[in-house]
Amino acid sequence: MEFRLRKGKTINLGPSPGDTPVIARTVRKVGVMARDYPGVIFDLRVSEGDQVRRGQLLCVDRHRPEIGFVASVAGRVHQIRQGARRRIEAIVVNVEGDEGLRFDVGAAAQNDGALRNLLLRSGAWLGFRTRPFGRIPDPAGRPSAIFITATDSNPRAPDPAHVLMPLLDSFKRGAQALSRLTDGPVFVCQAPGPSLIDPSETLQVVRFSGPHPSGLPGTHIHHLWPVSDQRSVWQIGYQEVAAIGTLLSSGEATTTRTVSVAGPGVERPALVRAPLGAELIDLLGEPRTDETLRVQRLVSGFSLTGTEARFLSRHDLQVTVFDRNATPEHTRTALWRMIDRLPLAAPGATQPSEAFERLFPFDLLPVPLMRALAVGDIETVERLGGLELLEEDLALLTWRCPSGTDYGQLLRGVLDTLHQERAA
Amino acid sequence: MTPPPPFLSRPWDGNRLTLVTLLAILAPLTASIVAHGSVRLAALALALVLAALWHLAFAKLRKRPPEWGGIVTAMIFVTLVPATVPLWQQGVALSFGLVMGDLIFGGRGRGFLSPAAVSLAFLLFSFSVDAAHTTDTASALAALAGGALLVIAGILSWRLVIGFSVAVAACASQWPVPMIWPAWPSATLILGLVFLIGDPVAAACTNIGRWLYGFLAGGLLVLLAHAGGDILSSVVFAALLAAIFAPLIDQGVIWANIRRRARRLRHV
Repeated sequence: MEFRLRKGKTINLGPSPGDTPVIARTVRKVGVMARDYPGVIFDLRVSEGDQVRRGQLLCVDRHRPEIGFVASVAGRVHQIRQGARRRIEAIVVNVEGDEGLRFDVGAAAQNDGALRNLLLRSGAWLGFRTRPFGRIPDPAGRPSAIFITATDSNPRAPDPAHVLMPLLDSFKRGAQALSRLTDGPVFVCQAPGPSLIDPSETLQVVRFSGPHPSGLPGTHIHHLWPVSDQRSVWQIGYQEVAAIGTLLSSGEATTTRTVSVAGPGVERPALVRAPLGAELIDLLGEPRTDETLRVQRLVSGFSLTGTEARFLSRHDLQVTVFDRNATPEHTRTALWRMIDRLPLAAPGATQPSEAFERLFPFDLLPVPLMRALAVGDIETVERLGGLELLEEDLALLTWRCPSGTDYGQLLRGVLDTLHQERAA
Repeated sequence: MTPPPPFLSRPWDGNRLTLVTLLAILAPLTASIVAHGSVRLAALALALVLAALWHLAFAKLRKRPPEWGGIVTAMIFVTLVPATVPLWQQGVALSFGLVMGDLIFGGRGRGFLSPAAVSLAFLLFSFSVDAAHTTDTASALAALAGGALLVIAGILSWRLVIGFSVAVAACASQWPVPMIWPAWPSATLILGLVFLIGDPVAAACTNIGRWLYGFLAGGLLVLLAHAGGDILSSVVFAALLAAIFAPLIDQGVIWANIRRRARRLRHV
């Protein structure tokens, strides 16, 4: 099956790392951030100063203690940061040594329950996100389908085909294993080109091409298997699948990912092999001083959806580096500079435009959806298909909208409210 | 303090939209000033002062920075209003439109009508206005240029424009209205389409809705003109009526979309 999408826009943001070799850079600290997992409350299994091995349990979810969060490096727990109401916000680990934990994978090869247990204990389970709601799936849940996203249309992202080349066997093994977690199909969504896996009854290859967001799971799910209140699917990234494949063959949790480090603030974009939650400044590889931090602004993720952060977020495969001193492109003409000086009420109201439809490759109505989000009309958002979306799917609308409203953030609020209602 | 995403500068904000619309109305306004002379200049000065006053008053009341959209409303109004209307009548009508068509809703984008259309409708209702039918080619060309700029900028919907034109052509062949079809369209008609009917805030906000809204506005225009209205009042009231129906059209499109997706969900 092939989908050629015409709607969307790939914003040109300069060079991407392309086919450059993957390099390793020394990372000194990693962080596990609660912010990456909406709805999760960390319950600690270690304390500050403890020595941990790679793959060792750091904490679990308080409501679903089967779900484990593991250390992506061997080292010492440096800091456990608490936020409001003493909720754990972050666990920071100092890298020391390279001792890894070995998981027993014998039973997982045959027994589906053992497979689930292995994924849950090794932290590989965190690669899944449910749709609707974008949360970690329940340990016993059976989705109606699983979507493997083996394409990435985010500008400057690593090229999945290039990253997967040495990992194809692991990827295939991982994809096979996933088909044991669902009664429905497993879709491998990839860019046009040679098939990444051998299609079978349960494993289907679907090709997507077109401008961004043709490579986002939300777009794939909408076109292949729309979700609703009654039907939920899981999505998982290609590197997570390869990591599961490696885990099943070697028993070691693969806790590194290949991320692209690019943006206006770096001279040469690079593909870097980095542990999950790596401290971003270490990924730059240059001499790291306070001066670097003052000049460069580090964003985990793509410029439209990322957050300025200290550590790499769980699902991000790119780091965008900005130069703080650079002038934005549009302010180079005197007229725009003058207009920008004028006072502006933000957030204002949106002005409908056909441009929104041109950026939105969904059979949903963007302007009514944006209005419903802006006024906080949860029921209308749901009726207009809000359950099919996550924050990243609205990023282009946020970028194009003159009002200055962040629709992704509003959608997160709506999804959290709806999830709470369902749970109650 | 972490600045919110996106980290890319946005291509559009309210002020830039206003600026582009202002550039689009500038050429027709200049053409109109050239055609009518100093009468227009006085009207423009009055309109700009009124727009500034009302916007500043509401900005103070709401404790928000003032919007600049009032300038554009004033310019559209001055370009379209017949030059023979006394200044005090123009002032009353424009004030009504600015306040009731835009500001009481909370500003641009929060209302559902074009403030310039409300002003002109108020003027045509309240006072006896003699709108001469002008066939000034320069003004028409200037209006076309402004419309083209708005279509390129994505502010004016091409679907709406084509839907409107098709509806006018189709209806005018049934009920002949010589001043609209097949004669060269007058500046008033083009300006009305571009700035009153095509106002993105007043128009439908879904793609199918934009076609239907264009058809409706075109049909209403021919109907009103056929019933004996002059070109200005026909286009103004067509814009006003169509804008009132735009939310209903959108609601219909929304219902159809929800039904279609529900059906798809059952079948996949």
